[in-house]
Amino acid sequence: MTTVHVEEAGGQRPAYGPGLRTPAGEERLNGLAGTRKRLNGCAAAAYAALYANVDVITAYAIRPYTAIMMNLAQFIADGILDAEYIHADGEHAQLSAAFGAGSCGARAFTGSSGVGVTYAYEMYSIISGARIPIQMSIADRTLDPPGDFGSEHTDALCTRDMGWLMGWAATPQEEFDKSLLAYAIGEDPRVLLPQMVVQDGYFVSHISGEVDMPSAEQVDTFLPPYRLPFPLDPRQPLSHGPQIHPSQGPPLQLERARAMEDAIPVIREKTDEFARVFGRQYPHFVEEYRLDDAEIAIVISGGHSVTCRAAINRLREQGVKIGMARLLWIRPFPSDDLRHALRGVRAVGVVETNLGLGGPTYGGILAPDVTAAMYHASNRPHITSFMAGLGGETVPTAEFEWMAGKLGQAVERGGVEKAAHWVGFED
Amino acid sequence: MAIEVTRQYLPLLEEEGRGAATDDDAGRDRHYLPDMPDEDPYQAGHRTCAGCGPAIEYRWVLKAAGADTVLAGPTGCMYVANSTYLCTPYTVPWAHTPIASGGSFTSGMAAGYEAMIRKGRHPGPYPNIIVMAGDGSAADIGLGSMSGALYRNHDALFICYDNECYANTGIQVSPTTPYAGLTTFTPFGKANTAGKQLPPKNLAKMMAEGHPHCYVATTTVGYPVDLMNKTRKGLNRRGAAFMHCYTPCQKGWVYQTSMTVELGRRVVEAGLFPVWEYDPEERKYHYFHPPVQRPVTDYLAMQGRFGHMLPEHVAATQRAANLNWQDMGMDVPAELREGEDPARHAKLKEESYSMPLNRGVGA
Repeated sequence: MTTVHVEEAGGQRPAYGPGLRTPAGEERLNGLAGTRKRLNGCAAAAYAALYANVDVITAYAIRPYTAIMMNLAQFIADGILDAEYIHADGEHAQLSAAFGAGSCGARAFTGSSGVGVTYAYEMYSIISGARIPIQMSIADRTLDPPGDFGSEHTDALCTRDMGWLMGWAATPQEEFDKSLLAYAIGEDPRVLLPQMVVQDGYFVSHISGEVDMPSAEQVDTFLPPYRLPFPLDPRQPLSHGPQIHPSQGPPLQLERARAMEDAIPVIREKTDEFARVFGRQYPHFVEEYRLDDAEIAIVISGGHSVTCRAAINRLREQGVKIGMARLLWIRPFPSDDLRHALRGVRAVGVVETNLGLGGPTYGGILAPDVTAAMYHASNRPHITSFMAGLGGETVPTAEFEWMAGKLGQAVERGGVEKAAHWVGFED
Repeated sequence: MAIEVTRQYLPLLEEEGRGAATDDDAGRDRHYLPDMPDEDPYQAGHRTCAGCGPAIEYRWVLKAAGADTVLAGPTGCMYVANSTYLCTPYTVPWAHTPIASGGSFTSGMAAGYEAMIRKGRHPGPYPNIIVMAGDGSAADIGLGSMSGALYRNHDALFICYDNECYANTGIQVSPTTPYAGLTTFTPFGKANTAGKQLPPKNLAKMMAEGHPHCYVATTTVGYPVDLMNKTRKGLNRRGAAFMHCYTPCQKGWVYQTSMTVELGRRVVEAGLFPVWEYDPEERKYHYFHPPVQRPVTDYLAMQGRFGHMLPEHVAATQRAANLNWQDMGMDVPAELREGEDPARHAKLKEESYSMPLNRGVGA
């Protein structure tokens, strides 16, 4: 007695074609092509997943990212998107289910916020180590305690060393673009890494901006069908995730480390390709704002960069030679690009919208990374950091002006006063 | 527009008459199995212990499921003993999952195949999707994930292979460890003569009662045709199915390695592991009524993990077994009723047929 057998694929890897869209979906996307839509960051992420024609979505409710999943649920209910939508029993299950779907060759999409991100912590290393390029859309939220809806980057930054591509979007347009870009980079067979596309909760996730809607053809050109080279498919059986002996550990870990480094040229390439297809050119890694002749600079990521630009413009009018370097990706960390951006700067202040309790600066998580990257610069600047916007508080222009004052002092005295300033608590 | 998802059908093996011709002297079926599938998607070459119950269960399940199967295995002894990098006993695709992810990872596999076939990305047919989780995974850390998967009714078979302890980590107590079972987390001593003091969690009943739309069944490695047919029924059913399989662990329970299948029979005959099937269409349990009913000592004495039991512990176990008989709709013979009295028992270790105490077990 035998059971049904599927014909061998003749030694070839099984092909995974493009997914069919629904008639209603095609109609909607045709109608959207070339229009400009007013969307908040959550809706922008959901539209990107719709355009990417994801196969499996795994959802669990937590503010503020929930609105992404609410939008996607409506797309499915309206017949615009054909995808399996899993109501997971928690974030750990959410990530596990997306991992299972991605391991079979399905394009999977998930997301979370705050303590939801940390609840799933076990899964991050496992998914990146398995080289399954699922996407997780995060809208930042402060970790407990206290119970707080506001944005703080600590949730996503906690996972920064787990082998995921990670970058912040500062506007809904950028959120939409970055979601597509991240899929294209992560699914590239030279990379095969999961991606975290992060936006500030509320500041980006819940404030509307204008988003240019592409055609489905543009997206399909830029983002080919997901083809995992090693899916769990009975046509070509293989095992995922076996046990190893300690002697096999070093080469496997080296491979994981190299995957991150190898992603760097692919990020550059895909960013440029994105510009050719969609007409929007992003910096590869670091946005350089008025840095050309700057003496002092703010290093920042995420939504507060919008206020920072306004503050810099005002300070420039007063004759302060200040600029901004915005990190579009935090993993892989753009050490080369950051050194290049800050090449003429004498003092740097890193804005920390996160907590790194007891860390080397006694402030946040980002400054140690920036400092390590700048250590090998030929003309090393003074580096300090600013704890600002914690708990989801705004960072008004006055605070950026205060930071500029501290950086100016550092240049004058030839050194920083301390490694981390708590903005609003010091003179 | 969407493409129809075609599903496999696995024919059931004949059960009636097979045993009738091969009764042993106790009136039990001896399963002579000339018509089993040839294929063995679970091949030789793994590193399971001599007399490993889960290895027997793995082989029967995958034999029943066949080659068009995708398998997941959460962390547990059958992860560590089976998979070695650059070497595998599986001829079907297999993936390790974290210990709490048995249900959720498998949900993702099922959803992935549903979507890919429907959207024309994969030609199908829909594969048999199976997860085999240990009792620690299914009844403890991954219970929520398993329940979530059954609740969502993914088309997959969710199996708990139950060796009644965390065997992988060196025999620690799990929710299905029986009352008075010794583990390295429930040793006995002067202050605690019982070892494990709690009765086991009834995982399968919880799954059936809590997910009444699912096919749920229990079985043991003592009944291979039953095990294979329940595997196939679970796979044939459109939607989620759960199978709880009793699989002795020689290392954890301390018994003679040739007794694994015998234990799979005796645990049922002692009333300690009711074998049943839950039919979601009629919302009814169908109990297997074993042809032999034994006192629990016939079962306990075979295992070193019970060697410390005092008369009151044996009597309490008999009381639990008698309640199980009632659940199963069977009469409790007077001899077994009398076994509820501690005065009827000796210390188990003083019985000449008892296995030695299970001290110092563990990896």
